[in-house]
Amino acid sequence: MSTVRELNRIEVKAAVRRVIEGSADEIIRLARDIYEHPEPGFTEERTAKVVAKALTKAGVKPETGIAITGMKGIRTFDGEGPTVAVIGELDAVKAPGHPGADTTTGAAHACGHHSQIGALIGTAIGLGVPEVASTLTGRAAFMATPAEEFIDVEMRWGLREAGRLGLLSGKQEMIRLGAFDDVDMAMMIHTSSSKVQRRFIVGGTSNAHVVHYVRFLGKAAHAGGAPHQGVNALQAAMLALSAINTQRETFEDENQTRVHGIITRGGVATNAVPAEVVYEGRVRGRTMAAVDKIAARIEDCYRAGALAMGASLEIVSIPGYLPLENNKDLARVFTENVITEFGEDALMTQADTVNAGGSTDMGDLSQIMPALHPYVAAADGTGHGIDYIITDYRRAVVDSAISMALTVVDLLSDNAAEARGIIDSHKPSMTRPEYVQSQAARLRKIEYRGE
Amino acid sequence: MATIRSATDLKDVVSAHISSHGQPAIDLALAVLGHPETGYKEFKTAAATAAAIRSLGLEVREDIAITGMTATLQGGSPGPNIAILAELDALPVPGHPNADPETTAAHACAHHCQLGNMLAVAIGLQAPGVLESLSGSVTLMVVPAEEYVEIEWRNEQRMAGRIEFLGGKPEFVRLGELDDVDICMMTHVTTEDPHDGFGVGGTNTGLLAKFIKFVGVKSHAGGAPHLGINALNAAHLAIAGIHAQRETYRDEDTVRIHPIITRGGSVVNAVPDDVRMETFVRGSSINAIRNANEKVDRALRAGALAVGATVEITTLPGYLPLAPDENLTELHRANAEVLVGSERVHEFGRRGGSTDMGDLTQLMPGIHPYVGGAVGRSNHAEDMVVDDYNLAVLDAGKAMAMTVVDLLSNGASEGMRVISEHRPAMTKDEYLILQRAFLSERSYTE
Repeated sequence: MSTVRELNRIEVKAAVRRVIEGSADEIIRLARDIYEHPEPGFTEERTAKVVAKALTKAGVKPETGIAITGMKGIRTFDGEGPTVAVIGELDAVKAPGHPGADTTTGAAHACGHHSQIGALIGTAIGLGVPEVASTLTGRAAFMATPAEEFIDVEMRWGLREAGRLGLLSGKQEMIRLGAFDDVDMAMMIHTSSSKVQRRFIVGGTSNAHVVHYVRFLGKAAHAGGAPHQGVNALQAAMLALSAINTQRETFEDENQTRVHGIITRGGVATNAVPAEVVYEGRVRGRTMAAVDKIAARIEDCYRAGALAMGASLEIVSIPGYLPLENNKDLARVFTENVITEFGEDALMTQADTVNAGGSTDMGDLSQIMPALHPYVAAADGTGHGIDYIITDYRRAVVDSAISMALTVVDLLSDNAAEARGIIDSHKPSMTRPEYVQSQAARLRKIEYRGE
Repeated sequence: MATIRSATDLKDVVSAHISSHGQPAIDLALAVLGHPETGYKEFKTAAATAAAIRSLGLEVREDIAITGMTATLQGGSPGPNIAILAELDALPVPGHPNADPETTAAHACAHHCQLGNMLAVAIGLQAPGVLESLSGSVTLMVVPAEEYVEIEWRNEQRMAGRIEFLGGKPEFVRLGELDDVDICMMTHVTTEDPHDGFGVGGTNTGLLAKFIKFVGVKSHAGGAPHLGINALNAAHLAIAGIHAQRETYRDEDTVRIHPIITRGGSVVNAVPDDVRMETFVRGSSINAIRNANEKVDRALRAGALAVGATVEITTLPGYLPLAPDENLTELHRANAEVLVGSERVHEFGRRGGSTDMGDLTQLMPGIHPYVGGAVGRSNHAEDMVVDDYNLAVLDAGKAMAMTVVDLLSNGASEGMRVISEHRPAMTKDEYLILQRAFLSERSYTE
């Protein structure tokens, strides 16, 4: 008979909470530090160093350099069992003018990813208590993923051409590299500036999308002296955008189609006919099939712009994200913990169909394993806007860490009965190899000559 | 025995005779002003014109190219045949004070004055002792359909075999009416300066005409727009594509592209599936027109491609650029200066409009001078009205009649010089091959 009394689950949870509360200042400070040093996807070098150090300090020295800046630290509990991943995203978006923006790159944490990192470290600390660890079975994987924001497409395409990337977002690439092969389920909490008076929002979905990297190629000529010798690639792009806009009336409301893009190169000198114009765009919708159908129309719009001007065109159609599908059982376990810890009032549940229109590569993970992507209402302003600020770091970082850590406790207690049940009952829409194959197959390069 | 009279004497006689006997010419112009008719439908106008010519004792050959006609004045001895042309047609200009309330046709291009000044030439040349002193003949040539309008209707006439060319003068050329003509001349009224004189020597653009149909798919515009293909959006994008290429046209090519939408959908609450456009593609040379036409076709196809529609493009031969003969221009200018003074005769430059007189100037020496006497924003505007019929009809007639005298007096030596020094750009056969090659009907679904 053991002399050390095993803690019951309530005591375990209390210990976890106490440890996380005790580290609150530290993990909030970490989040604020990352906020001060925003780095866009696949360039999160400093952020990665800070996170690796913090994970190591929490006792889970990570394997680093996965998908350039990504990492994964494993805590093994008592005995063989499922692996639950807790994820934090490393990257900033670009929002020049944001108070926290890097003046050189324009990168800013206008999507609150820095507080995910705080929550990730808090969870690792909470689950590091020795007497807690001994009550759990299986493993927890603490994963920091790069490049959730699908931006800087030209740069990422260059990394791919150089053989440094296969898929162009962090989780996509980490899946491709096998970093999730030994993971059974995954969760993360994203901040929200929703005005609901609830702490956590569970449920909902997100849009699928495809990314377009388009080069309109004309012919340079002196714009004053010999415009008749030129072919104006900027006009081709303008016409393409006008053409896209005419298609909007054909988008069905229920598909929540979004088509939007930016021109990253629009000519080099005012007095030369623009010979190369580069457009990065997205086509989003509720299902991949709907996205593919609309994307085909949009590709014709690019062609039409080129055809009108007699320009050429290169379209790279890059596989984007799949729709998010929250696992109901994971949601249940998470929800129970939120209610127990913070009360009924702390929770808002959304229908599976609620879709704000954005996309996330947690969607991709959710298609191959049970996944959960709740929101914590802790921000003010507009996501990706210059006014998106975390207003409640306690909630964003500490409360998120507590609820994720307690969820892991429930999943892996009692010989990981809950986690095993979730794995057994979950029907992923595709296997991991199928995912990698289908995403790779969706990558297309199209060349077109308008004549 | 008739004495050989000097050109100067003859011109004085002709000019004085038009002054004293020219009223029927003004009367014809005013009568025609009152019943404007569009091209190939100028039946009342033709009847009035034929009657006016016949009243001079001349025989009239009618019904050429539907409403056209010719009549000939023979000189005393053989020589070149000079055509004096006049155009029968009006064009639709809603809001013009003299517009037909039903068809909106109006003489906002003052072709009615051409009928008058042509008749004035005949009146002047019929002055006693003039014709017998001339070597050669003058053909009064009254042509339909100079305004290239109502393209869809005319194209139907073409397909029904009633005409081959949509413009009156190309049709006259095809029918052989110009075969025995050596020199041609017509005076057009303009609102441009000088209001009290003449404009000489300008060039005009040539044109291709296009009839375009965008075919989409109809569906409820509120209930099921995703099931439709919007042909109006295709047309909108096509026009945007046309505009986007304007910077590629050289100034000297005087490219003009100006579409109209003749059908833009049937009801607001259905996605438009049948949208039609007409446009000209104008330019100062055949190559410039071809180049611009290729770009227009690309833009039209792009509009359809963008929305997934089909575009049917009918390209119809139009008019060739106007290339006035320099010798003829100088003869006419001198006569105009005698009539109104040299300060009231302006040199016209490159012009953006087009006329099927251009076609004739590619085949033979010809001129297409302008006369003032009209006010308004521009020709074809609803405020374009003739306010000086003495100038637009009688003086314009005098200048042409005097030029005829220059060409055909003295054994037509001047006429022979003009003909021999002229290098026609093409023969009639070459002309017909060129024009027919422009005709195309293509459908694109890409």
